[in-house]
Amino acid sequence: MKITLNWLKQYVELDWTPEEMTERLTMLGLEVEGVVKLGGAFEGVVVAQVITRDRHPNADKLSVCRVNDGKGERQIVCGAQNFQPGDKVPLILPGASLPPKPGDKEPFTIKVGKIRGVESHGMMCAAEELGLDPEALGLKKEDGLLILKPDAIVGQAFGEYLGRGGSDVVFDLEVTPNRPDLNSVIGIAREVAAITGHPLQLPPLVSSDAGEGDTAADLVSVQLDAADLGPRYTARVIRGVKIGPSPDWLRNTLEKVGLRSINNVVDVTNFVMLETGQPLHAFDYHLVAKGANGRPTVIVRRASDGESFVTLDGKQHTLGSEHLLIADSEKGIALAGVMGGRNTEINDRTVDVLLESAYFSPTNIRRTSKTLGIRTDSSYRFERGADVGMTDWASRRAAHLIQETAGGRLAKGAVDAYPAPTLPKQITLRHAKVSELLGVTLTPDQIEVSLGSLGFRVAQRKPRAVDDATPPEPVTFTVPSYRVDMKREVDLIEEVARLYGVDRIPSTPPRHAKGSHPFDDRYDELMQVRRWLTGLGLNEAQGQTLVSKSTIRGLDPAMVVGLANPLSSDMDALRPSLLPGLMDILRHNLRHRNGDVALFEIGRVFRREGGSVREGRSLAIALTGARQPAFWAGAERDAKLELSDLKGLIEEFFEHAGLRGVGFVRREEPSDLFVESATVAIGGKLALGQLGWVHAQVAKSYDVRDAVLLAEFDLDQILTRRNAGRAFKPLPAFPSARRDVAMVVSESVTHEAVLQAVRQAKAGDLEAVELFDVFRGGSVPDGQKSVAYAFTYRGADRTLTDAEVTASHGKVVEQLKKQVGATLRE
Amino acid sequence: MAALLDEIEPLKQSALGALQSAADLPALEQAKGAFLGAEGQFTALMKRLGTLAKEERPAAGKAINAAKVEIEAALAACREALELRASAPKVPTDFTAPGRRRSLGHLHPLTQVTDDIVRAFRRLGFAVADGPEIEDEVHCFDALNTPKDHPARDAQDTFYVGRGEPAGAAASTGAVGGTLLRTHTSSVQIRVMEKMPPPIRIIVPGRVYRRDNADATHNPTFHQVEGLYVDRGVTVGDLKGTVEFVFRELMGSDTRIRFRPHYFSYTEPSFEIDFSNALVKKLGKDWLEIAGCGMVHPQVFENVGYDPEVWSGWAFGFGIERIAMIRYGINDIRLFYENDVRFLRQF
Repeated sequence: MKITLNWLKQYVELDWTPEEMTERLTMLGLEVEGVVKLGGAFEGVVVAQVITRDRHPNADKLSVCRVNDGKGERQIVCGAQNFQPGDKVPLILPGASLPPKPGDKEPFTIKVGKIRGVESHGMMCAAEELGLDPEALGLKKEDGLLILKPDAIVGQAFGEYLGRGGSDVVFDLEVTPNRPDLNSVIGIAREVAAITGHPLQLPPLVSSDAGEGDTAADLVSVQLDAADLGPRYTARVIRGVKIGPSPDWLRNTLEKVGLRSINNVVDVTNFVMLETGQPLHAFDYHLVAKGANGRPTVIVRRASDGESFVTLDGKQHTLGSEHLLIADSEKGIALAGVMGGRNTEINDRTVDVLLESAYFSPTNIRRTSKTLGIRTDSSYRFERGADVGMTDWASRRAAHLIQETAGGRLAKGAVDAYPAPTLPKQITLRHAKVSELLGVTLTPDQIEVSLGSLGFRVAQRKPRAVDDATPPEPVTFTVPSYRVDMKREVDLIEEVARLYGVDRIPSTPPRHAKGSHPFDDRYDELMQVRRWLTGLGLNEAQGQTLVSKSTIRGLDPAMVVGLANPLSSDMDALRPSLLPGLMDILRHNLRHRNGDVALFEIGRVFRREGGSVREGRSLAIALTGARQPAFWAGAERDAKLELSDLKGLIEEFFEHAGLRGVGFVRREEPSDLFVESATVAIGGKLALGQLGWVHAQVAKSYDVRDAVLLAEFDLDQILTRRNAGRAFKPLPAFPSARRDVAMVVSESVTHEAVLQAVRQAKAGDLEAVELFDVFRGGSVPDGQKSVAYAFTYRGADRTLTDAEVTASHGKVVEQLKKQVGATLRE
Repeated sequence: MAALLDEIEPLKQSALGALQSAADLPALEQAKGAFLGAEGQFTALMKRLGTLAKEERPAAGKAINAAKVEIEAALAACREALELRASAPKVPTDFTAPGRRRSLGHLHPLTQVTDDIVRAFRRLGFAVADGPEIEDEVHCFDALNTPKDHPARDAQDTFYVGRGEPAGAAASTGAVGGTLLRTHTSSVQIRVMEKMPPPIRIIVPGRVYRRDNADATHNPTFHQVEGLYVDRGVTVGDLKGTVEFVFRELMGSDTRIRFRPHYFSYTEPSFEIDFSNALVKKLGKDWLEIAGCGMVHPQVFENVGYDPEVWSGWAFGFGIERIAMIRYGINDIRLFYENDVRFLRQF
């Protein structure tokens, strides 16, 4: 909503600077989003009166004058001859500029200076100097100064004198959707009046029964066929108007707030809409068809299905019964509350005007505006809720202005179809509740004065004895019809808070209850996991939740949760896994030449399972590029990340998380995503996730060249199964003995198989087994590998003898030979 | 006799000189051999002890021994010094050259800001709560007093979840209509109040969704934090006190906070919160809008079965990205979701 300061001042006295105004309105809840200062025409030029005129001591053709500029007297040296004391003339003050003359580029700025030895404090102007044609202003054309009419007001801004408006300030206000009454200059003036205490000055309008000759009812009928959607319709007729350009004040006002001037009658309807918040429409009276009673009849009805209608802007619309139409007996003439029809619009030949002021149901206007894709200043106001009590008032205001700007005669009275008037709303307030909610003590008087200044009238008070000392409550207020947002007690309390000023409510330090929620601990666990993973050298990523269905691999499409109204096919599903998102992130990084990426993400994933959608928390890891940060020496400096790096990272993480019994099982066949991968489960049953090495082709499709390693786990499961408990185990008191075994086994023998064999050997005092070398090629036959293990033996209560260690170790070696077909290397 | 005694001191001096002038360990060993070795000069002197008269031997032996102890001590000292020199690096270390790094990962800036927010609230006794991102209209809109035809419910602004792919179990469930991605964390207010009796003191960080095309200030996915406090006798003053505390914790102690009346369907009265500090001034502004808040609307309490005559409370919410952008001077929200490692490493 845009308003100007000068416009607002017509309804309420105020002396705020634009800055103060911004602050005050903002703190009232009317946020000022923009302020534009308009210089106005003829800035620095005022109407002045010549008091004396004397000859210049040093020049025959010049005179030295004393001139009243409205604030005081100035000495002006002047070269013109056509004036005498008492004449009123335009005076430009020092510092102001005249428009550049033809041929000049720079405007001419007036300074205090000496002319032939005498100081001059400004310049009296000729018409040409101001770029004006005196005759167009109704003044005499003559050589020398522009002599103004004797009734000109000394000191008035010259632009204002010309009716071109002086400087002004345009405010762009953000009106919250609950306050449609503030989409009007009067509505804003009412708020200003409430906080300044100055009275609201309403503009002139015709009385309800003003007019002459025929009554409105003689000239037009109104028929409400859909009173649920259009409960009130007021019609007035003004005959004999002269359609033409609007007067300057009207055109200027509209243009300052961004509306285009069309003609005097249409401009008045727009002006009154901005002034009062009530949208109006003017029809060419003679283009509205006569009904059975011989009078033009306005019918407010639902459109028929498939009914075609052309709006003012020339666009054709196909309507349905959900649209409300203003019609005559033959055709639609306006799309109710949204836009008029082309067939009845005001045009150059219009003589008689039918003026509509009506109330329409907000919901219906919103739907119409949305389904037809038309948004107008009118639909904007109706869909937020117009003031049903304002309908006739606005019509009377418009009738006054149409007569003033376009002439014509008003037919007597109005047709005001309003069969079921809305009763004023009443709300009861307990004074104590105000203080209770706001945390500041207000007296009943303060509260009632605040509400009274906003138009809430006390309707009823609980009767009580004269000597009753209890607070005078509750009290019932009548809500003014323009306050459609008022529903219950707390709404009144908010009004009190607004006028009192939130900044005046003292802050109280936090007190009272301590909160609790089951998620509170989970939050800490999630942060802990994040810190572990960053400790492992991974950066945290936060990817998009919305992904493209086309990037989802290896999942039954029925499990994908799609969007019903995606913005694009790039984001048409909720991620069922974090992996596609991480792949996108890898691609982004590689395109920006960040070839070494180690990331994790913790986020929600969504799957349709058994008819419902499961929202789970997932943890994913993505690695590619160099294993270590760059360094300038060393054999391993160029090492790239490989599957073992990923697995090591996961092992470390699981160990911190206290997960036990985690097994990794290799997938025999490549999957859609991985060329080599494994599933991870606890106890061989409870699935935790997977890890793998991405197919070269998939990687290539993401522009990745190095090996890409990915893992993803069900984080909810991990956190549920984590074991945060820690118990101290005494540090070993006796020395250990180490025995190494190097053996050749078949490729099919896994580390896990070796461990199983070792466990089966049930060797006493075996403390630890460690794989320390794997070797292929050389003397080792194809299909086999050489593996080397270190075995640590330690007694809990004594130092083991060599013989004891040898005996235990012998069992292990035997079992390895037997169970995994190990051939010992010497 | 006198001749032998007189020889001890010069020989000792020459041995000490030879040891001390040895430039490295082999030279020292050579010097040692030249005096104390089997063929060494000092060994030869000791051998000559036997040629002395019996009564002369103790004094001479004592003198020789003293000299020997002195030489051996010097030898040990020289050896230690030379060993120390030998163990030092052959070339000086360039301490300006980059070291061999071990990388420590970085938490995402949004995680860091979220955690700071959570920490500030927890100091005031708030617990962290959570709720689903796929919501229904009841929790996201109806229970929050959002009018039925409010634009926020439009398919224009809110993502609705599809009814599932054709066939299969999903289709048979039917009543998926009105399933949407939550547009604000306020839905969790309702979920928590439905489950828990008052008093309530929670904070809810989480992802929310709006149907906006991505640009410098929009992303279809972003994060919010919601705070909710319900108790007996909660006032606007309490709301102000908590908000001021939290924002000073977050944005610095020079932060000033301003409340402006505003409108939200689920609070009454409602306010928008502006803040100001050195950062804001640097942006050439007096105030920056940062959050919305208000006293929980009695209708909302009624919707979850709380008696608004007994309980009052406040709620407030704000965008985490916005805080992070202001705090770090980030000018494009998309950077958070691109996860460029050069970006992530800065935080």
